[in-house]
This record gives sequence, C-alpha cells and structure tokens, in this order.
Amino acid sequence: MLEIKNLKASINNKPILKGLNLNIKPGELHAIMGPNGSGKSTLANVLSGKNGYEVSGVLNYKGENLKEIPVEVRAQKGIFLAFQYPLEIPGVNTNIFLKTSLNSILKAKGDKELDSLAFLKLVREKSLELGIDEKFLSRQLNVGFSGGEKKKNEILQMKILEPYLSILDETDSGLDIDALKIIAKGVNSSRSSKKSFLVITHYQRLLDYIKPDFVHVLADGKIVKTGCGELAQELEKTGYTKLN
Amino acid sequence: MQNFEINSNQIDKIKKITLEEKNFRFKNLELFNASGFPNNRLEDWKFSDFKNIVYNNFDELDTKKVSSDFNKMDLLKDFEHNYIFLVNGNLHSSNFSYEDKNKIKINTYDKSIDYKISTNPLICLNHALAENGYSLEIEKNYKFKKVLVIYNFFTNDVKNKILNNKNKITIKENSELHVVEYTINETKFINNVYENIILEKNAKFKNLIVQSKKSDGFFYKFIKNKLLFNSESSNLIFSSGLKFNKLDLECDLTEENSRCNILSALFLNKNEHQEIKTLVNHLAPNCKSNQKVKNVLSTECKGVYQGKIYVKDIAQKTDAYQLSKALLLEDSAEFNSKPELEIYADDVKCSHGSSSGNIDEDSLHYLMTRGLNQKDSKNLLIKGFLNDVIDFIKSPSIKKFIESKLDQQINEY
Repeated sequence: MLEIKNLKASINNKPILKGLNLNIKPGELHAIMGPNGSGKSTLANVLSGKNGYEVSGVLNYKGENLKEIPVEVRAQKGIFLAFQYPLEIPGVNTNIFLKTSLNSILKAKGDKELDSLAFLKLVREKSLELGIDEKFLSRQLNVGFSGGEKKKNEILQMKILEPYLSILDETDSGLDIDALKIIAKGVNSSRSSKKSFLVITHYQRLLDYIKPDFVHVLADGKIVKTGCGELAQELEKTGYTKLN
Repeated sequence: MQNFEINSNQIDKIKKITLEEKNFRFKNLELFNASGFPNNRLEDWKFSDFKNIVYNNFDELDTKKVSSDFNKMDLLKDFEHNYIFLVNGNLHSSNFSYEDKNKIKINTYDKSIDYKISTNPLICLNHALAENGYSLEIEKNYKFKKVLVIYNFFTNDVKNKILNNKNKITIKENSELHVVEYTINETKFINNVYENIILEKNAKFKNLIVQSKKSDGFFYKFIKNKLLFNSESSNLIFSSGLKFNKLDLECDLTEENSRCNILSALFLNKNEHQEIKTLVNHLAPNCKSNQKVKNVLSTECKGVYQGKIYVKDIAQKTDAYQLSKALLLEDSAEFNSKPELEIYADDVKCSHGSSSGNIDEDSLHYLMTRGLNQKDSKNLLIKGFLNDVIDFIKSPSIKKFIESKLDQQINEY
C-alpha cells in the first residue's frame, strides 16, 4: 500500500525528516509515536501533499510515485488525512462540503455520484453508527465546533469517503474518554483487508482501543525503533528519553 | 475626450416647466459646468476619480434625449413577482397583479425641486437635466404579497450618452415593500440616478440590487433614505459585473427605533470598479444601523468602501455597526476602505472593522485533501466568504436566483 524509503523532507532549508523508512501493507494498522518535534506531523503533511516541503526519497502509494500526484488526486485515489487541527471554514455548510467531497472522489473513480437524498441517507447511517449527532452537519464546517467535535467530524468524513489509506494525525489529542471511544470505533469498524491505517499519536491511551499491528518510534526525523503493541506500553512507562 | 460641458439649451428643450424649476435647473447646470465630473481631489471621490475614468473610456459623450422604443420584454421566471418596467429610465409599464391596486400609486417622477444645492457635481447634473424616472407610493397599512421587480432596461440607443433619472418611493404607515432592482444593459453609457426613499412610521422596505449580466455601463446612484419612527430599510447589494458602479447611500434615521441595514456581497472581475459609499445619520435616540460590505476581488479590479456613521448629540442609545471585509485573489487587485465615525452622544455603541487578505492556503489545502480540485476549493471558500450576506435573503427562490448570478461572475474568474 505505502512504501517509504529514505524519505527526507525539509521546510525553509530546515531538515525535519532525515531518512525515514516505512512499509505499510494492505490491512495493516501502524502507529507512530514520538516526542514533540520528531517530525510526526511533517510526515502526515508530506503524505497529504502539502506545499512548502522539499521532499526526496522514495514515496510509493499502490505502486505509484506519490510525489508526482497532486493533493486532490491523492484524496481521489484513496488517501485520507485526519488533521491534527481541522480548519474552520466559515460560510461553508458541512453537509454541502461533504457531498462535494464525496462526489468528486466517486467521479474520479468512475462511480455514480450521489444525489442529495442518497447522500443524506449515507450520512445519517454513518453518524448513527459512530454515535455522532447529525445536527452539526448542518452547521458551517468546523466553525464553533469544540475540539472533540472537530475530531469526530474528521472521523465521520473518513467513514463516508472510505479511503484505502487513512492517516490520523494526533486525532486523539485533547479528547475525553467518550470521544476517544468514538474515534476508536470509527477506525475499528473501518478495518478490512483492503484498508490500511497510519495512526500518529503521543499517547499509548488510544492504543488501548485500537490494536496496532506495528508500533514505530519516530525521533529526530527517523524511525528508531519498531515493535508490536507492547512497545507502546513500554514507552508509556519509560518515556522517550530512555530510547537512546 | 478632453473637456465636457453642457449647453444650457438642453434645459430650454425641457417642456412644461415653471420658471422656478427652470431657474433651479439652470443653477445646477452652472454648478456642474463649473466643476465638471468629480475627480479625486474631492474627498468623496478620492478612490474613484470619475473624471479620469470617463475621459479614459469615452471618446464622445452627450446628454441628448434617447428614444424609449422597444418591443421585447423578457420577464424573470425564477420567482413570482409584480413589476415596474423602465426603458432607459422611463416608466414604460407596470403590473401589480398580485396586489390590491387601490393601495399603489405609480407615476413618472413628480419633478419637485425642494432639494438643497449639493456639492456633488453628479447630483447637480441630475437636478439640472433629469426628466425621467418613476414615483411609487404605497398607501397605509398595506403589505406587498409578492416581491416587486423593477426592471431597469437600457436599449442600445443609450450608447455614449449620459442618462439622468430621478426616482422616488414612499411607503406609508405600517406598510411593507420588497423590491428587486434588476438592471439589463450591455452598452457603454453613463447612468446618473437620484433616488429618494421615504419610510413612514412602522414601514418596512427591502431593496435588493442586482443586474442580469456583465455590462459596459458606468453607473452612479445616489439613494437618500429617510426613516421615520420604528421603520426599517434594508439595502442588499449584489451588483457584480459592472465596469463602473458607485452606490452612494445616505440614510437618515430621523425618529426613534428606526433601523437600517446596508449589506453587500460583490465579486469583481478584471477591469471592474465598484464603490459603496455610505453615510448613516443617527439623528434620534434608540436607532440601529448595520453595515456589512464583503468584496472578493479577482484580477486588475478595484473595490472601494467609504462608510461613515454620524451620531447626533441627542441620539443616545445608538447601536451602530460597520464591517468591511475584502478577499483579494491576485496581487493586481486593489481594495480601499475608509471607515469614519463622528459621534456627539455619550451613551452609544458604535463598532467598526475592516480587513483585507488573501485566500488562506491552509484552508485551501484542507479542502483539497478531501478530493476537491483547486478551483472548486477556491470557489467554495469564496462562496463561504460571501455567504453570510446572502443568508440575509429569506426567500429561497430569490436566494437561489442571486446565487446563480454570483456563480456566473465567479465562474468567469
């Protein structure tokens, strides 16, 4: 699904990722942990195609060179990034945005676009499944949403758009236990042999609810340690400083 | 074009006028000829040098009368409505089939001359030469059932002419009127309009300004609103697509509890120039005014907002709000904003704000990571920016109509 070799990324000549290797196969869930400033969010941004980074190394998604694929086409090909800080877009209705988004992805796939009725049915079903109040879908996109609502909205988008590769950038930060469970439910109910996840987190807490196949530790722009679920628990006890 | 002066025999040609009116017209013509078109040395015109704009765009220009002959009347099908049809500013026909006709008086303009002498050369020109327009009066206790569309249709005969029109709307006690002013024109000409709007006690007036499509016309309109006790006026401006447009709104809140709203959502394309200038006079206590001007500017265009709030010493408990926001899509776009507050009362709430900026790159990226291409993402952000003004339109069919007009403009970019 995703093959990263010797990935280097810098912004304003400042190197952040310094030769990162990662291989995610279909159906796998990888967690990336690491201290502040280790490059976790940069990795998420680079994968989503954000401007401003100088990127080198191998970055393949389903056999294609991701570096040459524009941002929106990445989304159309099934890459989804749940933002650490979802943006507030004033004046844009959440439902209308979601419908436009879904239809542009369906269109790119060559599938039939959904009309308003079919879309509403889908949204209702997915929000019910996650236990999200569908009322906030009639509000402006993320405007005046609480931190938890914004994150839940990201997961709802993920459920609706059904990506192959979902990248969750610290989606668990700042959430209460109930919201955390909703996020976990959204991820767990989406898992299948065709879908992969890259979950970026600070804390082991989320991994109590989402069972990763691999846990990687990112430090100073490189993956310094890889293990299974127990690695996260170990880190929780010892902290990152003991790693070296 | 170098110099522009109007011969006084133009006034001699106006028929059936009293000596008094004739003198009033002569005096105004003299004032206009002495100053010519307003230029940027006048404070009110500092961002829109009209003289320069006219001289750069017209090789010839005259004020001769034009025929109002035409035979094609295309009415809007987007929503049910009454209408007044103006041809080159002349009252051509009207239809109030949804209303009680006894409650409505419609006439050509009544030619009253009880105007103060103005320092604005275009108003002088209007006072000197205007002989067309309409006068609409709504009787007491009557609420319009359907919207009234004022079709402002210009034939190709107006090319290289200056048309001076004068209109008046009076809404009497407890009555309500909702107007959509719809301009249809493609020709290069100048339209100089003076409009008087009087709202009596408890009257309500909503005026929505829009045009059919892009136009090479140069429009200036002065609208004088006089509001009496507990009356409310709302001006909603959606006149995108004009080569030049300046709306000069003056709103006198003369009695308690009167309220005025001035809102605009504009999208300017290449070589378009629009100015909204407002003067809200709080002359009595407990009045409320709300101004929100939103401009999106694409490339090589200019937007201007000059907004002034005046609060008289007796106008305590005034609540006045003013906001101007501009979204600049290219470096070649220019937006000028000049907010002014002049307050002589000590127990008032007056706030104003002004900002201009570019499209937020992070917001754009967010939308694009959801599969929307750059153009669609930009369009969504632009519409989002303008939406809070559009949401002021309560009728779904009219809202849809306005949105489609804005989309035309946005899609051209």
